[in-house]
Amino acid sequence: MRILLAEDDPMLGDGLRAGLRQQGFQVDWVRDGLAAERELASGIYAAGVLDLGLPLKDGLDVLAQLRARGATTPVLVLTARDAVPERIRGLDLGADDYVIKPVDLHELGARLRALVRRAHGQAQDSLRWGGVVLEPAARHVSWNGAPVALSMREFDLLHALMRNAGRVLTREQLEQQLYSWGHEVESNAIEVHVHHLRRKLPPELIQTVRGVGYTVPREREAT
Amino acid sequence: MTRSSGHSLQARLLALVLGLATVVWLGAALMTWRDARHELDELLDGHLTQAAALLVVQQTGELEEEEHVDAPSIHKYAPRVAFQVFHEGRLVLHSAQAGVKPMAQLGNGFATVRLEDGTEWRVFAARGAQRDVQIYVGEQTASRRAILRAVLRSVLWPLVIALPLLALAGWWAVRRGLAPLRQLSQVLERRGPEALQPVTLTDLPVEMQPLVRALNALLERIAGLLEAERRFTADAAHELRTPIAAIRAQAQVALGAGEDAAGRRHALQATLAGCDRATHLVEQLLTLARLEAAPALSALPLDLSELARRVLAELAPTALARRQHLELEAASPCRVAAPEPLLAVLLRNLVDNAMRYSPDGATVRVRLSQQEAAAVLTVEDNGPGLTTADMQRLGERFYRPPGQSQAGSGLGWSIVRRIAQVSGAQIELGRAPQLGGLAVTVRWPAAAAGAG
Repeated sequence: MRILLAEDDPMLGDGLRAGLRQQGFQVDWVRDGLAAERELASGIYAAGVLDLGLPLKDGLDVLAQLRARGATTPVLVLTARDAVPERIRGLDLGADDYVIKPVDLHELGARLRALVRRAHGQAQDSLRWGGVVLEPAARHVSWNGAPVALSMREFDLLHALMRNAGRVLTREQLEQQLYSWGHEVESNAIEVHVHHLRRKLPPELIQTVRGVGYTVPREREAT
Repeated sequence: MTRSSGHSLQARLLALVLGLATVVWLGAALMTWRDARHELDELLDGHLTQAAALLVVQQTGELEEEEHVDAPSIHKYAPRVAFQVFHEGRLVLHSAQAGVKPMAQLGNGFATVRLEDGTEWRVFAARGAQRDVQIYVGEQTASRRAILRAVLRSVLWPLVIALPLLALAGWWAVRRGLAPLRQLSQVLERRGPEALQPVTLTDLPVEMQPLVRALNALLERIAGLLEAERRFTADAAHELRTPIAAIRAQAQVALGAGEDAAGRRHALQATLAGCDRATHLVEQLLTLARLEAAPALSALPLDLSELARRVLAELAPTALARRQHLELEAASPCRVAAPEPLLAVLLRNLVDNAMRYSPDGATVRVRLSQQEAAAVLTVEDNGPGLTTADMQRLGERFYRPPGQSQAGSGLGWSIVRRIAQVSGAQIELGRAPQLGGLAVTVRWPAAAAGAG
């Protein structure tokens, strides 16, 4: 899952980025409001973590503009401003969650997963397709009860596809979901990962739409 | 205007107006009475002399034959007037009321006498020119007083009737006149405790405008203070929580690093740096709190250049680590009368700021001089400097110019300003003429500089 982190404090930003990476998130870090707005509007992020006291443009303004422009990326506001009116304003302006600093990194990760899940209309944490169960929090995949060992990228790819079950994701979209800034993407990386996934899981799980991309078909009724 | 004091403006105004009206009216009545009495006396005395003259003329030559004939009473007013005519000491003619004794002493002119029956008379005595004729014409003074009383009554009665009416009208008028005051107090009463917006009343009388203006100015000041406090609390929360959040996050990253030894090491170092930063912040906050509680103070003059040397020596290792150059130009002695610890904090904050916000390899120059008995400290750097807007906001607690990569508390400037204030110095910000970055000038005037 690719997350945008907007935090101007160097030490906190560094810590949050490292902590979220440890939990398997792809994290891009921006340090001012204008960059945060630009990146969040791009639509390539599964969710955003937004500090409010950002230089150049306040977090709440970023949020308001983003929502005014119709961007639906879930945004978690992470701030030291704990006054209730501030929180209400933040939520009213389109924040999907509001967390006061300091925050437990695991809680932050769980809240981000919940945000993304809700954004895709899911109530449960785990994703299912046939006998395949994907648990984002534990980063664990099983097939008919047996654990399946996946690399980090393989897991992220499967997660992105299962999260968007029924939709076709292009190779570019998948690359954007999988790789944060500063990572070289080899030209056939996605194909290689899909190939590996098909070997480890039921082959009909990931289907190729020729010339467009890949999809996990919507789950058949009563599996 | 509080109700509890029981001191009603309305009652006071009303009492004043009614009291004044009564006094004026009574004064008018008194003058009318005096005037009327004077005129009446003149008129009636005139009548007495006229009557006496008539009698003198009439009696000449006719007196021997007739002996004291009673003159008939021909008018209801007659019993109040009387006359006597004596010829060679003998009473020859008199009115019914007049006794047989002469009403007054012999002679000419007016007299007021009390007769045996107790009545008081105004008598005019006249003497005939050729024969020995003595004439007395009298009038009861009671009748004069009755006329005066009637005059006075006609003046005073309207007052007695008008006073309650006037009171009623005055009460209404005063109440109506004070309506804007009542309206103001109602507007204020209806306000919630947090409503600090200015009072706006239409049709405000001129007399009340200064009051409302002063009130609004006060409200504005209070709102400003509250806003500053609110911002301080919000900023303090932000500034205190951010380093703690960073420490927590970094510690958690270190815990979860697993086999990533380099990552763990980095996170632990960041944790330590975060602790240093939190410590620095707490120290700055405490310094500021102590300073804000401190009144303006005085101390023995001390040599600032000596102190500057020490502070720069303390900061030198940090500067060296970033290949920054620290320079001190001191024209010794540069004396300032302020407590040494405060001046040290001021110097440290200024130099630390200059170092912090200048790039690696930058130059920070501290200059001390004595200009016409004033002590002047200048800290210059060749960093990026500040925009005018930032210069103005500098010194607000927790304010940091945007886009800072350096971790700072945002309190250094507040501390510097406060120390300058309590030690009687002025601070100027500008562009360093030679180095091109920010130049901060602190100037202690002669009194604070202790140059004497």
